[in-house]
Amino acid sequence: MSVGTARQAAVHPAGADNRIVVAGATLTWRDLPELALPGPAAVLAHSARHALAAAHHHAVHGTELLVSTASRVDTGMRDELRAAGFTVAEFGAEAADPAAAGLTAAGLTAAGLTAAGLTAAGLTAAGLTAATRPRPAEPGRLWLLTSGSTGRPKRVGHTLESLTTVRGHQPGRTWLCPYAPGTYAWWQVVTLSLTQAGQHLVVVEPEQLDDWPALAATHGVDAASGTPTFWRRALHRDPAGLARVPLRQVTLGGEPVDQAILDRLRELFPAARISWIYASSEVGAAIVVHDGRAGFPVRWLDRVTPGRPTIGVLDGELVITSPYHGAGLAGPVRTGDRAQILGDRVLITGRLDSDEINVGGSKVSAGGVRDVLTAHPQVAWARVTGRRAPLLGQMVVAEVVPVPAGPPPTGGAAPVAPGDGPDEAALVRWCADRLPEYAVPRRIRLLTEIPVKETLKSDV
Amino acid sequence: MKELSRAQIRDLMAQVLKNQGKVLPADDAADLREVGFRSLDFSELALRVEDETGEELNFDAPGLRRIATVGDVLDFLVELQRQ
Repeated sequence: MSVGTARQAAVHPAGADNRIVVAGATLTWRDLPELALPGPAAVLAHSARHALAAAHHHAVHGTELLVSTASRVDTGMRDELRAAGFTVAEFGAEAADPAAAGLTAAGLTAAGLTAAGLTAAGLTAAGLTAATRPRPAEPGRLWLLTSGSTGRPKRVGHTLESLTTVRGHQPGRTWLCPYAPGTYAWWQVVTLSLTQAGQHLVVVEPEQLDDWPALAATHGVDAASGTPTFWRRALHRDPAGLARVPLRQVTLGGEPVDQAILDRLRELFPAARISWIYASSEVGAAIVVHDGRAGFPVRWLDRVTPGRPTIGVLDGELVITSPYHGAGLAGPVRTGDRAQILGDRVLITGRLDSDEINVGGSKVSAGGVRDVLTAHPQVAWARVTGRRAPLLGQMVVAEVVPVPAGPPPTGGAAPVAPGDGPDEAALVRWCADRLPEYAVPRRIRLLTEIPVKETLKSDV
Repeated sequence: MKELSRAQIRDLMAQVLKNQGKVLPADDAADLREVGFRSLDFSELALRVEDETGEELNFDAPGLRRIATVGDVLDFLVELQRQ
């Protein structure tokens, strides 16, 4: 078909023919449904493929776009978006019937415009809600909703260019994409696959999150990016299943990365490159570390290299000046993350506003205590918080998920007999041997499952 | 609302001390400094009482007082539950 060929030759991105596995179907970027999107559009996706289709649409047409999962945007946020000039487009709500949702495993119908509720005639769908204050679109603009760990999600402006942080040619990889559509981390994986040939994607739907290693092994995933919580959950649920995924690249980000999780992944994947990334919607990807150690070298501080972010520490806070800033941000950005220099490394331990616990005047880093707990061979996950207490104001308390009973996946710690996990007293003693007295959590609640949010982070 | 008896609070206090490798003497008149029961231990005990009863204690209510013996701690927490 000559029209289609001409259009593809002109504007399809370099990765258009990469393989995408989504909702049980294997296809390419080109095969995704062609959405009819009036710019500026806020796409609220109920399924991953519609979010991917929206990203591809932007790469081809440059339509001003915000992508989010439908569940992250409540009525108030929807009204805000409409008032900010966005047409709100909801896709995939009736995805129970895949044909109606506009996509079959075989690909698209000839008409193209078959996405949820849309017809070839265009915008007649119930899924579209017009802007209350229409404005001209800004071509090339992409909007992200921040993860909201600091409160209500806010919009940060980017472009495909500013979101594409991996530019050098990469070895061919099949990437797992476990992130919620529209988040900064999701865009990182998506832009990599859109802009480079040979970077394939296997998408994990939220309901598949517990069993992603099986999906990944089936489709030959050899690179995966996830939060430490995401990795801890996989290690906790089924280490043997995880070990069957032929990973050559293991990436962590989105939360503080401690040495224990890096070491456990190294045990399971001795030949893989293990990297952790510090990135946020506001400053982009600023720190990438491949040496398998928590934190980054002190010598990276205050180093100015054109085209690269400059990293500093001010009053214990990580400060970043980045060429990948979101729109409207310039100069040094205070990240709100606590940075601590320990020997030759700078460790990022958590959010400043929630990391510091004041125990009778002594300051405790929740992240520091959490790292001590997760370093215990029988602890899979831990959360440390301050709790209101008499005399001291606050006390350190913790929630802990022990590793499952049975022998550990590979060598290392001694096998654990069923029912032989650590109890509260044993964990308190472990901490007492490694922390000042006031930093030792006195109340430790044992949980059986690692709690996780849609962002794959565990911090509330 | 569930309320802990003085004896139940005493058991919790013994548990707190045991976790620190210390022993709660039978004598209520025992001096807290000699027992080695300190602010952190007192705070932990209060949290344990809260966890058992499912109610937050209101520490501001009774005003300041001298807490020097094992008995003082028990009396104070029994009273706090009633505030």
